[in-house]
Amino acid sequence: MDRDGFPRVAKLKDGSSVEISLASAADGPALLDFYRLLSDEDRLVLKDDVTTPGWLARFLAKLASGASTSLVARADGRICGEATLHRTLHGWSRHVGEIRLSVAADRRGKGLGYALATGVVKLAIDLGIEKMVAYLVESQIAARKTFERLGFRKEAELARQVTDLLGAKRDLFIYANDVSYIWAAMEALVEDYSSHEGH
Amino acid sequence: MVSDRVGSPPASPAADHRGRVWEPSQGSHNNRTEIRVGGLGGQGIILCGSIIGKAAAIYSGRHAALIQAFGPEARGSACSAQVIVADAAIGYPYVRHPDILVLLSQDAFVQFSPQLKPDGLVLYENELVHPEGKLPTTARSLGIPATRFAEELGRRLVLNIVMAGFFTGATNLLSIDAVEKAVVDSVPKGTESLNLKALMKGYEYGRGLVTPT
Repeated sequence: MDRDGFPRVAKLKDGSSVEISLASAADGPALLDFYRLLSDEDRLVLKDDVTTPGWLARFLAKLASGASTSLVARADGRICGEATLHRTLHGWSRHVGEIRLSVAADRRGKGLGYALATGVVKLAIDLGIEKMVAYLVESQIAARKTFERLGFRKEAELARQVTDLLGAKRDLFIYANDVSYIWAAMEALVEDYSSHEGH
Repeated sequence: MVSDRVGSPPASPAADHRGRVWEPSQGSHNNRTEIRVGGLGGQGIILCGSIIGKAAAIYSGRHAALIQAFGPEARGSACSAQVIVADAAIGYPYVRHPDILVLLSQDAFVQFSPQLKPDGLVLYENELVHPEGKLPTTARSLGIPATRFAEELGRRLVLNIVMAGFFTGATNLLSIDAVEKAVVDSVPKGTESLNLKALMKGYEYGRGLVTPT
């Protein structure tokens, strides 16, 4: 088992199992295969063109630098889902992490997205991220529900921000989850002070 | 056993301290072990003591008592926890002559080291506490870069948990399973994972110092 308790096996709603592990450079070719199998419509909502070697090189460089931390799910010898935390290591938003999530079409509706998102949220909290965001198009109803189950709430709405394959304009939602209270509770716990008690 | 008195600090603490294991039977009547955790407000001294006490009383079936003392300021003032662990009911809950000191500030070292039993054990954060040459030759001491470990884990806040793990690994007084349960029971929901990593970091470092190679 590597750091953070991975790899681990996740049982899905249909009784099948997937292995979830931290992504490394060795996963590069399988990740490209995974993304190339996504439909055009699915890839449209992704920020980058994830089918190119150039994207993969940038992604692996971010993994190596710590700017990205990624989980991949494997079943039947191939990657069937991926969740990544992207963060800036300096600057005024260094406490913020963006989560991106993709699941293969044949694994959707079985809890894999939730398992991946849960894992990456825990990694984010351990890394000191205080606020997480996810960019979701209005049509991504299942993904929105997944993030809502994890405590994310719609914080902003950008009207007509996305053009779909048919040329229709869609709204983009920014979902956010402020988890700073979790460590604020720990800070209070280590204060070694009480206004009601003393020597 | 290798002498590890601090008059001549070892170049490699892990190597020089190997083979030294705290023996709970060194405690007095009823295996009473007196522990003082000392440092500054804001370092989680009380929580560290509480975790040791909970691990003993709730998760090891022993008896424990905790007395906490802190200054008038929330941060930076002297703070300490007195913990007694014993096999029978504890009639007197105060630490008079600690068997073990867990120290996170030099002031705490200056204040509490004179009370240490002659063959007592000092566990200290080695960037914050410098006991060199200031302990009786019969006392033993083990240091850990707990602040650096906590920062490497991403949160300096977990310094006290690293020290709780170090205590567990270096003393054998409590099982790591019991202390793990006490940590999970004590820290806020959502922080368990990192706190357990901090605990294991300290534990493994402590084991490494006392396990013969």
